[in-house]
Amino acid sequence: MSSVKRTVKKRLIVLLAGFFAVYFALVGRLVFIQIINSSEYRQKAMEQWTKDTVVKSRRGIIYDRNGKELAISATAYEVSVSPANVKDPEAVAQALSEVLGLDEQAVLEKVKTKKASVTIMKNVDSEKVKLLREKELKGLSFADGSKRFYPQANFAAFVLGFTNIDNEGLNGAELTYNKYLTGYPGRIINMYDAHGKELPGSDTKYYEPKDGLNLVLTVDEVIQHFAEKHVENAWVENKAKSVTAIVMDPNNGDILAMASKPDYDNNDYKKAPEQYLGNWDSMSSKERQDVLNSIWRNPAVNDTYEPGSTFKIITSAVGIEEGVVKPEDKFYCAGSVMIGGKRLKCWRSHNPHGSQTFVEGVMSSCNPVFIAVGEKLGAEKFYKYIRAFGFGEKTNIMLPGEAPGIVRGVGAVGPVELATTSFGQGISVTPIQLITAVAAIANGGKLMEPRIAKKLIDNEGNTVYEFEPRMVRQVISKETSDTMRSILESVVAFGTGNKAYIPGYKIAGKTGTAQKVENKVYAAGKYISSFLGFAPANDPKVIVLVVIDEPGGAIYYGGQIAAPVVGNIMSDTLRYLDIKPQYTEEEAKLMQRPAVVVPEIRNMSLKDAIIKIHEAGLKYSVEGEVDYTNSSLVLDQIPKSGSNVNEGTTVILAVKPVEQ
Amino acid sequence: MSGRKANNVDFTLLITVLTLLAIGVAMVFSASSISSFIRDNDKYQYLKSQGAFAIIGIFAMWFFSRFSYKKLGNLALPLVIISMILLVLVFVPGIGVGSHGAYRWIKIGPQRIQPSEFAKFALVVFMAKGLSNKKEKVRSFTQGVLPYIILMGIYCVLIILEPNKSMAIIFAAITFTLLFAAGAKMSHLLVWLTPIIPAGIFILIKDKYSLLRITSYMDPWSDHLGSGYQAIQSLLALGSGGIFGLGLGNSRQKFFYIPEPQNDFIFAIIGEELGFIGTTTIIVLFMLLIWRGLRISLSCPDMFGSLLATGIVCMVAIQVALNIAVATVSIPTTGISLPFISSGGSSLLFMMINMGVLLNISKNIKANGS
Ligand SMILES: [Zn+2]
Repeated sequence: MSSVKRTVKKRLIVLLAGFFAVYFALVGRLVFIQIINSSEYRQKAMEQWTKDTVVKSRRGIIYDRNGKELAISATAYEVSVSPANVKDPEAVAQALSEVLGLDEQAVLEKVKTKKASVTIMKNVDSEKVKLLREKELKGLSFADGSKRFYPQANFAAFVLGFTNIDNEGLNGAELTYNKYLTGYPGRIINMYDAHGKELPGSDTKYYEPKDGLNLVLTVDEVIQHFAEKHVENAWVENKAKSVTAIVMDPNNGDILAMASKPDYDNNDYKKAPEQYLGNWDSMSSKERQDVLNSIWRNPAVNDTYEPGSTFKIITSAVGIEEGVVKPEDKFYCAGSVMIGGKRLKCWRSHNPHGSQTFVEGVMSSCNPVFIAVGEKLGAEKFYKYIRAFGFGEKTNIMLPGEAPGIVRGVGAVGPVELATTSFGQGISVTPIQLITAVAAIANGGKLMEPRIAKKLIDNEGNTVYEFEPRMVRQVISKETSDTMRSILESVVAFGTGNKAYIPGYKIAGKTGTAQKVENKVYAAGKYISSFLGFAPANDPKVIVLVVIDEPGGAIYYGGQIAAPVVGNIMSDTLRYLDIKPQYTEEEAKLMQRPAVVVPEIRNMSLKDAIIKIHEAGLKYSVEGEVDYTNSSLVLDQIPKSGSNVNEGTTVILAVKPVEQ
Repeated sequence: MSGRKANNVDFTLLITVLTLLAIGVAMVFSASSISSFIRDNDKYQYLKSQGAFAIIGIFAMWFFSRFSYKKLGNLALPLVIISMILLVLVFVPGIGVGSHGAYRWIKIGPQRIQPSEFAKFALVVFMAKGLSNKKEKVRSFTQGVLPYIILMGIYCVLIILEPNKSMAIIFAAITFTLLFAAGAKMSHLLVWLTPIIPAGIFILIKDKYSLLRITSYMDPWSDHLGSGYQAIQSLLALGSGGIFGLGLGNSRQKFFYIPEPQNDFIFAIIGEELGFIGTTTIIVLFMLLIWRGLRISLSCPDMFGSLLATGIVCMVAIQVALNIAVATVSIPTTGISLPFISSGGSSLLFMMINMGVLLNISKNIKANGS
């Protein structure tokens, strides 16, 4: 054998070994890819093949307590494009932008993206979809969905709230009960090829969506209407910053109505509020968002204020409960009291109340009377009750962003703080806290958790879950409650709350006027006027709180402007609830007096005005500190000129001394 | 293997080749049915052409197994000349056929033929003939090594112009392997690596396309939808097949995730449908082929037959190794088909001719085996 031949043989064996070594290495690679890392690659491949399509569930309907629809889900469509199937991108983009009102260039970009499917617009109504369908364009698809719709725009906006474009609750009950309302979305899991087409024979997995539950509110649509109407009138008439009303059933904490003006349209909650229309376009998006955030705030639960005299109800109830004061106890008002070296004035310091009983003190809302009661109670006891009434903590009403209010720690309460708190200053509360606390005084002493929802029902109307009324605690005794009801009845019948008086109904209540606190000091000329009343006084069915924030007129006393609003809401509501009026003899007589028209007396001198009022057969009363020796000018009047009133009705005059 | 009569072909080799051919036809059908159905509304399109070439290939193999390889030796020079002419004809308008910007085919009637497949065969025959005549002179640089390097250079230039760099790499690999097998001095072979390395780097840097393929090889996930795409899709196919595979016909990656799955990446589809079992079976079959082939080389009494068999085996072995290395992302993506299995008429036809020649050589080996 030649040496070449021997070399060739050796080399062939080397070659064989070399090839086998490479092939074994490749098998090793395959062990690594197909066995060791297989699951990782399989999962990545799975992600690439499968697409999860969400099938939306229908959002539950929100009903009022009697089954009226307040929020419904209307059919809407999601318009999307599968670029692979589009024949003529320009034509598709033009049609879409034309019908949906979108920018054509932006749509064209979407149509040309290299994706299986691109969403063009959500919540498109069926009419627009019909228009698009008629154009018979390839590559468009219309997925069924739903759009939230509030049949009565702006109605109960703060209770209902609104949802975003994905039907998620963003405010109000829509937010707090979102998890019940949304239901569970379904899913379609399918496999697709690299061009976005469904793989043949891939087993489609379909998980059916579960519709959301329907929510039944405690709100009564009719009472809500009354509240909205009277709140709007008060807001316009008083040129107020805002007006808020809460109507509650004091016995179980049910919110029957909750209204505020200004409000917003929950069908179009991003619309420019009317009062900002003029400069909306020149505002930055952040400024706009700030405005919207402020307009979406629910003053009834999100905002705090100093309750002023309405808080005297609490002071009275605690005083009576603790036995430090009895209705017939005597007090003396000298116009002001010295407390801790500070002179605290009665609101009527120019004409002190003098000697009076406790009941008379409540009727006249005399500050020194309550200072005395507070003193007798002492800070510790008084504040224990204040907290027991739920102040300083959330009521847990199912509405978003509830403020807890501010109650001083007992350690920070000196004689001055104790005195001011007793007449409702230096404490900050939310309207919902105050009405809940006074409801406890009215209902026999039980502090109820305010509730906005009664139950959840399915589509067949079966009750799925019932939200039971919840008593937080017994705060005062039934006896104290009884006493308080009769005292508060006399406030309306004879005292500062007489503007809430409705002939035939026994109404109990209390006025309140507080100067607004801005940056920790009292803001001059800015008031919050309120009135809190319940009826019938002996067996309360309804409790109403009206808060008027920054009334713009010259008359700002709660008894003058807030009490009539409560009276109006109450009178409508009591009649609606079929609580029959029972007129006293005196009332029946008054009812028969002839009607007269209130004359226009604004800008008249006080003397001329009084003459005019007498000629009309009316009475008058003058608000504010009046120097009778000077001639004064009438700034404002209540009722307004042109109103029809019974003969002998009192016309309230706001006057200003004429400069010499 | 003792007792096997002379004049019989190597039966193991024959069965191995026919098994690979059968797997190939089945897999080409499985891999191509979807895209050919979508594109041409005929899911049997590739099955029909691949099946037809398989049958023609079997006849060609049968023919060449009976055609004395010794006569091929005399045809060595004409084969080289014809192959050169064909490679030039690729660039002649009207005869050459372009696809995806590459001119790799010529038209003969309704059929496209890839001249480089023919040239590969011609190169192997020519080198086997020449080197077997050189005897001891194979150790000379100028007479043993240089002429073949020059021939390879001409082929490579023509093929790179098509352009078909992957094919040129195979030509170079076959040339060097054959020179090595024929007993050329190692120093004479290794000296060529000195200019090849910088030249290779230069070409890679100049050619952005190649460079991208290299970087994406290093981290295929870095450019998910770009140049690393094929590498990723190949890994996903192999990996999701696991040990046992998704079952014949059940590949999902063939739904356009792997472009032209019946071609260079068919190994990935095999891995997905038939799993690790399937891929190792393929590798084992090729190892069987290489073993039987080199056994024929070793036992062949004459040098020409021995080197011819070696050349044929190396051609198969190198292509298989490169193809599977690409599919397993062990080397950068390059377009090399898997012998007997990837679709493509010319490639299959010449593979079968090569196998025919190999079988013919096997007839001549000593009856008492190795
Ligand atoms: Zn007083």
